[in-house]
Amino acid sequence: MDARLRTFLVRSGFLFLISLVLVAGFWYHREFYQIGFTNLLIIGGFVTFLVIWAARLALSGELPRGRPRGELTFSIEEGDRLLRAVARVVVRPSEGTTVPGVGHVVRARYDTGPEFARLFIEDARRAFLADLTDADARQAGYRTAAELRETGAARWRWRPSDTVTVLRVRAMGAAS
Amino acid sequence: MDAWLLAFIAIRGGRPWLQATYAACTLAYVALGAAFVGTNERVLAALRDDVALGIVLLAHALTAILVLGLIHGETLPRRRSVAFLLVPVPLLAYLAPIEGWTAATAYEGNVLGGFLVLCLGVALAEAIYARYTSRLLAPHSFWLAVGVVALIVAGPVYAYELEFLGEASLAGANLASPIALACFALVAVQADPFKIAPRPAKGGTKAGTLPASDAIVFEENRPKYALRTAHEESSSGRTTLILGRHAPSMAAGGAGFAGLLPGRHASLRALTTASEFLATSRGGLVVVEDLADLSALSEWPPTIEAVVRLRHVARDTGSTVVFSTSRLTDAERRALRDLRLPWWSLPDPAREIEAILAQSFGDGAARLLASFSRAHGLRPEELTTEHVPALEDFLTRALAELSGVVAGTAGHGLRTQLEAAASGLRSFAAQSAEDVARGKWPSRISSGAHPDLLVTAAEYWKGKEMEELFAAADTVGEREPLFERARAVFVEQLGDAGESLLRTQLTHLGKKPEDLDRSDLVQIADRASIDLESLAAIVDIPQEKARIQKQIDSIRERLELIVEEEQ
Repeated sequence: MDARLRTFLVRSGFLFLISLVLVAGFWYHREFYQIGFTNLLIIGGFVTFLVIWAARLALSGELPRGRPRGELTFSIEEGDRLLRAVARVVVRPSEGTTVPGVGHVVRARYDTGPEFARLFIEDARRAFLADLTDADARQAGYRTAAELRETGAARWRWRPSDTVTVLRVRAMGAAS
Repeated sequence: MDAWLLAFIAIRGGRPWLQATYAACTLAYVALGAAFVGTNERVLAALRDDVALGIVLLAHALTAILVLGLIHGETLPRRRSVAFLLVPVPLLAYLAPIEGWTAATAYEGNVLGGFLVLCLGVALAEAIYARYTSRLLAPHSFWLAVGVVALIVAGPVYAYELEFLGEASLAGANLASPIALACFALVAVQADPFKIAPRPAKGGTKAGTLPASDAIVFEENRPKYALRTAHEESSSGRTTLILGRHAPSMAAGGAGFAGLLPGRHASLRALTTASEFLATSRGGLVVVEDLADLSALSEWPPTIEAVVRLRHVARDTGSTVVFSTSRLTDAERRALRDLRLPWWSLPDPAREIEAILAQSFGDGAARLLASFSRAHGLRPEELTTEHVPALEDFLTRALAELSGVVAGTAGHGLRTQLEAAASGLRSFAAQSAEDVARGKWPSRISSGAHPDLLVTAAEYWKGKEMEELFAAADTVGEREPLFERARAVFVEQLGDAGESLLRTQLTHLGKKPEDLDRSDLVQIADRASIDLESLAAIVDIPQEKARIQKQIDSIRERLELIVEEEQ
């Protein structure tokens, strides 16, 4: 089954269960709501509002991780490596790059513009560029640390003494 | 459900006072719930009304104390909130029979009801205030507010509904207590301190050399002085904790280490770790080595708020907190500077060592250092003041190499020059971070000439013969016995135990130190990795396991580097 259809069904099922609980709650408290239409309107309306709100967030994919914060741009090759899970690490200059913390989601775009995925940030650290090892580079989809440095030097003009942010990410699927 | 939560927090929690508050609060709700159910099901005899009312009072006061403790940290439940919220409990319990107050009518409009609502109100108000004023506590205060609102809805509001419908009261039991306690447990777990290994010994701490009751910023490129200060203070008997991403390669003279784990609440956990540590080790020292990593994990606004709160903790406990600016961005450094904390600008020891050598050996200092670094499998930026004795030894041997080439006055002059450099290195290495922060750095001393000498060796030799010394240094590096180079790697990573481990491996190989060759080093790297990995396998503490693994990786990398250089 298509992953997105499965996600949609799971979310919808969850919301249906919440709706059942909601109706059961109204039934259980039916005597209380007999005290007047205003009570039912205000309290019932508020609870229903919360459910509709939660549904909107769930169906937009913002539950349970929340709305994407910020974005990272990638070359076509880098993006493909992430989508194919060949690379799990993203290295960016710390200066001038705003990246949300661990547990947040960022939009991943090709540098030509289109969004190709949402990335869940699993870990983040700062390091001197000179301290990156070949193992770091391989996780970022490069053969060696030297290759990673050279590629970045062309793009960001970084120097070995510069600080970089090393993010371990997980692609959450292509954007709709 | 409540009992399960209690067991969970008892197992997972790392803050004894908070756990005790949570336990007391949970037990109060469990007792009220059990009494209500037991009475209705005719399993238990009805609870005495004054006892039930006392438990209701206690449950509400403890709820407020627990929420305040979760927001304000480990030390709060021991102080103000206890006085303000627990003191009225016995008074109200005493007045209850006189005034005719019962648990069933606890939320009525009288002093008793007012106190109960006040407790829940204080908890809710603090949670909402934290939600809107604190970037550090905002996510947690949401769940705290959810928990308190649940208690209010199932407490006073539901009591009103039951009374309106003419139904029997719950007699103090709160149906939402599992929800509220689950929310509080979630926050407690999310803010749980990082594990400290080794745990500092309980008991008094000795005064260190750093100023107490404050936070100090160490502005340095790499946290070399921050770690060295931790080692020195710890060695002098001060209880010390290093908070960092990876354990220092060598055990810091008894200092505890708490490893930062990836997670969005890393800043809050770092704060609770340091607070809990300083609450039990008043007058101690906490070195936050990886502030930059905290920023990367939790973002900068929560991190700087944690810095501010840690400063208050340091003041309240007569302790010292050191923050290293290593790998912070310019904007983050500026924000930190705006806090007006004591700010110590510190040099990179590698650069200063080179500057000291340059005073004697001119431009060749960099070559000398490069030879030394190569000989010891070090990268130049890894040099610290701890390498000064080894560097002195290296230079002495380089000079000895020259004894056949230069003699008489020339040799004497070079020796004098070397002694001047060695003296400069020793006096620089002996300076504490506080001394160095005063700004008398060798690299800032002008002219590059040693003040005690009329001419430098570079001037004396006019650049030609100096080449002999540099070549000799290269030769020393090349001829440095493999055993010595391997020993330096093991000792740096494992302390004195490292040499024993290396000698054990040699015994296994049936070789003497002087017979060691490249292929032996590869075998030693493999065997030492296996031995240390089996040691790591029996260690239960993840941070210690990670530290040993890092040591294994570092030893292997350095030995491989030496082997490559030998090829």
